[in-house]
Amino acid sequence: MKEFKFLLAIWKANLLSAMEYRAAFLSQAIGMIVNDFMYFVIWIIFFDRFKDVRGWGINDMYLTYGVLASSFGLVSLLFGNAFNLSDIISKGRLDYYLSFPRPVLLHAVSSRMIASGMGDFTYGFISYALSGYFTWDGLARFILATLLAAAVFAAFLILIQSLAFWLGIVSNLSALALNAMLTFGIYPITLFDNYAKLILFTIIPAALMGAVPAEFIRTFTWQSLAELLAGAIIFLLIAIGVFRLGLKRYESGSAIQVEV
Amino acid sequence: MKAFQKYWAIFQITLINSLAYPGELIGRSLMIIPFMWIFYQLWKVTYAASGSEVINGLSLSNVLWYLMLAETIELGRPPLARTISENVKDGSIAYLLNKPYDFLLYQFSTVMGETIFRAVMNAIFGSAVVWWLVGPPEHPEGFLVALPAILGAWILHFCVAVMIGLLAFVAEDVSAYMWIYQKLAFLFGGMLIPLDFYPGWLQTIARALPFASTTYGPARLFVTPTADLFISVMTIQIVWIVILTLLLTYAYQRGVAYLTVNGG
Repeated sequence: MKEFKFLLAIWKANLLSAMEYRAAFLSQAIGMIVNDFMYFVIWIIFFDRFKDVRGWGINDMYLTYGVLASSFGLVSLLFGNAFNLSDIISKGRLDYYLSFPRPVLLHAVSSRMIASGMGDFTYGFISYALSGYFTWDGLARFILATLLAAAVFAAFLILIQSLAFWLGIVSNLSALALNAMLTFGIYPITLFDNYAKLILFTIIPAALMGAVPAEFIRTFTWQSLAELLAGAIIFLLIAIGVFRLGLKRYESGSAIQVEV
Repeated sequence: MKAFQKYWAIFQITLINSLAYPGELIGRSLMIIPFMWIFYQLWKVTYAASGSEVINGLSLSNVLWYLMLAETIELGRPPLARTISENVKDGSIAYLLNKPYDFLLYQFSTVMGETIFRAVMNAIFGSAVVWWLVGPPEHPEGFLVALPAILGAWILHFCVAVMIGLLAFVAEDVSAYMWIYQKLAFLFGGMLIPLDFYPGWLQTIARALPFASTTYGPARLFVTPTADLFISVMTIQIVWIVILTLLLTYAYQRGVAYLTVNGG
């Protein structure tokens, strides 16, 4: 509860800070909505021409794209530093967070808000509304699925970025992993054979960010809920464990830092 | 000639600089591998479902090699708009403007130096993956034919990216404009789906816009290198290069005047 209040305080400070440059905040949020929609138009064109991919149609794309966008946006808004945690580690900037009586990982990843995430988060709901699968109970499942998919995504980012404790600069690996996660998450899961699907549930858990949440939103099943919950919990535990292991190896830098 | 030597030297320095961290260069280029793999999965299933080996004049092999070159062109570009907007916002542009070289030509030389090896590495990794998946390209000579169009595509992108970067003179943040431009280029440039698969009316619109010249033109020329297509692609590129260069020059002069008036 104490940590939750701490998180709320950080998020409030992040939002107030972002709103200082209101025009930039709004342009990024609106620009990202437009960006997401224009990217999706390509899929509209594709499915208009080719109808479906092994039974996966445009409505399924709206739904998958929606939950992926919202979960990505949620992580960007609330845990923006998860995207550059490796940078923080390799440049010795963890010193700042270590000096506070708060969980280092939680403090570090929640200290930044990416304004464009508001656009992604909002667009996800719009995409779901346009999917043809909208129902009020489905909306409740959409919100739950977004939260769980965001947990998996944040955990995956933290896991990859924490490799900086051992490998130093991992910016290329992080970018590759992020692109793979988003690319595989957006594309229809019906494209992949069983071996590829195994990878999409484990090494690059894109299925837990796209296809499985979409399936859960379409129709409630205990299996899909169990998959999402198990995925979120397991990945979070692994990510936190790896970060803590790496933190034991961390050496303080001598640079003077100013955190604003 | 002396002026040309100046910018050639800048280009060479940036080119050599891009090789300073070969691990970083290679690591960045690996990104094309998952993209090509997933494109292959999508188009393999699509062609199988259609029951045809050729759709709108393109085979599966054509489409994969087309997408390989499209991704090579796209992934090779450095984030120029962001760099210029940061130069404008933090004032460091003032240090560049008082140097004995033209700002725009300096940026062009720098960007080309950064782009060349990125594109080469992307092409090597992308080609290796696509060759393994679908075999060699039907017309390997198409790469040489497409080279002038690839250069033209980079020049077009440079003009637009700098204009977006210079918007920092009047806008707090230019990210949104860059995203929208990128998605327009994806959509009307045939970045993820060749324009040949678009509805007729949309193809007409797309071919009239400059975006088709930045991606579709060079990539299509690579997979189907014909004299007619070459003349068509290069003509449209040259027309748009002239238009965008004039626009860019005007935008730059207005920006510099604005900077001078406000004290930098």
